[in-house]
Amino acid sequence: MGALNRETIISIVLLLFCGFLIWSGQQIRIVNFGELEPRTWPLAVSYVLTGFCLIYFFQAVTGKIESFTEEGDDNPEFQGIGGFIKKYTNPIICFALYFAFLYTLPFFGTLIGGTLLVFSLLTVLGGITPGKLVLHAVIAVVSVGAMWSIFTFALRVILPRGEIIPSVMGPTPPTLPTFAQSAMGGLA
Amino acid sequence: MIIENVLTAIGDLATIQTFLLMAIGAMAGLIAGSIPGFTIAMAVVLTLPFTFGMDAVQGIATMIGVFVGGLSGGLMSGILIGIPGTPSSVATTFDGFPMARRGEPGLALGLGVWSSFFGGIIATILLVAVAPQLARIGLEFQPWDYFSLIFFALTVTASLSGGQMTKGLIAGCLGLIIASVGEDDINGVKRFDYGIDYLGEGFSFLPVLIGLFAFSQLMSDVRDRLGARKALSEIKDVSIKIEHRRALVQLVKSWINVVRSSLIGVFTGVLPAAGSSISNILAYDQAKKASKHPETFGTGEPDGIIAPESSNNATAGGALITMMALGIPGDVITAVMLGALLIHDVTPSPSFIAEQPTIAYAIFLAFFFANFLVLGLQSVVLRAFVLITRVRMYVLASIILVYCGIGVFALNNIVNDIWTLAIFGVIGYVMRNLGFPLAPMILGVVLGPIAERWLSRSLALSTDISEFFTHPWSLFFIIVSAFSIFFPLYQRDRGHKPWTVVYVPLFLLSLTVPLFMMEGLVRPGIAGLMIAGSVYLLSQAPKAIRRIQSAD
Repeated sequence: MGALNRETIISIVLLLFCGFLIWSGQQIRIVNFGELEPRTWPLAVSYVLTGFCLIYFFQAVTGKIESFTEEGDDNPEFQGIGGFIKKYTNPIICFALYFAFLYTLPFFGTLIGGTLLVFSLLTVLGGITPGKLVLHAVIAVVSVGAMWSIFTFALRVILPRGEIIPSVMGPTPPTLPTFAQSAMGGLA
Repeated sequence: MIIENVLTAIGDLATIQTFLLMAIGAMAGLIAGSIPGFTIAMAVVLTLPFTFGMDAVQGIATMIGVFVGGLSGGLMSGILIGIPGTPSSVATTFDGFPMARRGEPGLALGLGVWSSFFGGIIATILLVAVAPQLARIGLEFQPWDYFSLIFFALTVTASLSGGQMTKGLIAGCLGLIIASVGEDDINGVKRFDYGIDYLGEGFSFLPVLIGLFAFSQLMSDVRDRLGARKALSEIKDVSIKIEHRRALVQLVKSWINVVRSSLIGVFTGVLPAAGSSISNILAYDQAKKASKHPETFGTGEPDGIIAPESSNNATAGGALITMMALGIPGDVITAVMLGALLIHDVTPSPSFIAEQPTIAYAIFLAFFFANFLVLGLQSVVLRAFVLITRVRMYVLASIILVYCGIGVFALNNIVNDIWTLAIFGVIGYVMRNLGFPLAPMILGVVLGPIAERWLSRSLALSTDISEFFTHPWSLFFIIVSAFSIFFPLYQRDRGHKPWTVVYVPLFLLSLTVPLFMMEGLVRPGIAGLMIAGSVYLLSQAPKAIRRIQSAD
């Protein structure tokens, strides 16, 4: 995919997003009190954003925008979908592990979940050898243990404890956002 | 009055606990600033969660410690491994690294440490002297003026965008949209919630900030599989000692360079969008031009270390002047600092220094004391830095990712905030990779709600839009905003396109209109001088245009 094409595609996606924003802005309730309606500001910003996106689109189409390229973009190894995945393997895995950590937080809690996350990240990013596994386990336990202790005992923050560690300091705060709970409900 | 405020602020600040916290903050800043790939803004946002439980003065003093520490920390990696820890120490490597390689790392570090110190002290003196004067002007502001001032700060996004002006403006608007998601402050109506409670509650500022900045930065740091597994440096010698006495003797000899570079730093910091990443190079360039031996620059010349290090610390003082006196952040670090202050219920604005002098002066003094703390801690941290640079990037990144999650949870004790962090981590990473600058987005998130609030107050007083053009300060900022948007184009085309010749005189002439509308004799007098200046520049314009055309 050429750099110009990429910029044009991004600008089209942004323009579609602007259309969606303007539509969403128009759905905001009118209250008829106060001089500034709740929808005025976001709508005004959406129109300005649309203007900038149009400029961006025309710059992309006419090739006037400075195409953003990263080191290695022209490497044939990173071309196509397979190349994209290869190039971004580490970030993709890290994000996936992080979301998995969040999804399982109600069960594992911060201490166990955090330790598992650090251990998994270290192992994925650092490689697997018996020696490294031991080292990664020690780093994960010590680092998350220290963080957990500082926040729990020094800063008095009640971190999510999860279901497998019995609660000793009152109820655990809700651990999933509403949209995730809805999604889980939907799946069930 | 100033002395009374300073004494009250000292009373609030001078406790063992506060100094201890500031020292910890300064040490954290020094270490974070010294690690290539970690930015000062990242150090500040990662320290924020620890300050939630502190009172405003303690929390802010700790953050200032991190800020000043971060600025000084960059010199260590720049001098010892030739990679600047932060963009504000780029020019330090030009002469610092060659000096270290020829066997004088102690002197190079000493020059850097003491130059940073004196730069910070000179900036503090100017901060205390100038900020209250600027704030006095702020007392004249009315809602229309405030809105136009914030509007001006938002246009700064254009200048913050580097070569990607359109993308920067888009990112700025996206920041404003992000800030408007959730319940509206004025009427309590939910916006962009689509019936989802999570969206209806809006996004907390801190998770958005850490997600966009720290999370996405860490992902960029570990993207390269081999690079992530390498140690940051292979320095083995932990016995390097800073040569304080030699450095001080050299600084006394180069005092003009110290003062000049510090002033360059302060004035660069005062200007919106011109932070320490610019000032250190400007100061280096001026030091080279003023030197009797410019050919020695780049080979380990002491003045080549003194200039950038004096200026980058002084820039922090300049940026604090604008932030404290006008409530507008000059660069991304001050945008993050502004966010940190908002979290502690401290809202810098033109009336802030007059209304909350104790906190304002506590910030000034914290900046002053932080320079002493950083000076004292640098020797200790040098050893820690050498040890930390042996750690692999993937180890640091893995631990910090979890810390980010725990840190944002501590703000409101809501797990939703960790989801927000992760979601904005993805958004930030995608935007980075598509070439969208993140600094304008942060500015949009910070300033959006403030702008909307002042717009609402202005319209509550009068629905007549012309009020924005009839109030002198409001008109002043609207004119500055209009020119600010085109400033990056001016920078790009200066000396190449004829229109740039009239940019400055037109700007000066336009500003005379609001200045003449102001009361008194001083401001109309300044306007008169500006007219004279712009007439002179316009008289020179035909010659300059011919020169450009003949060059083409």
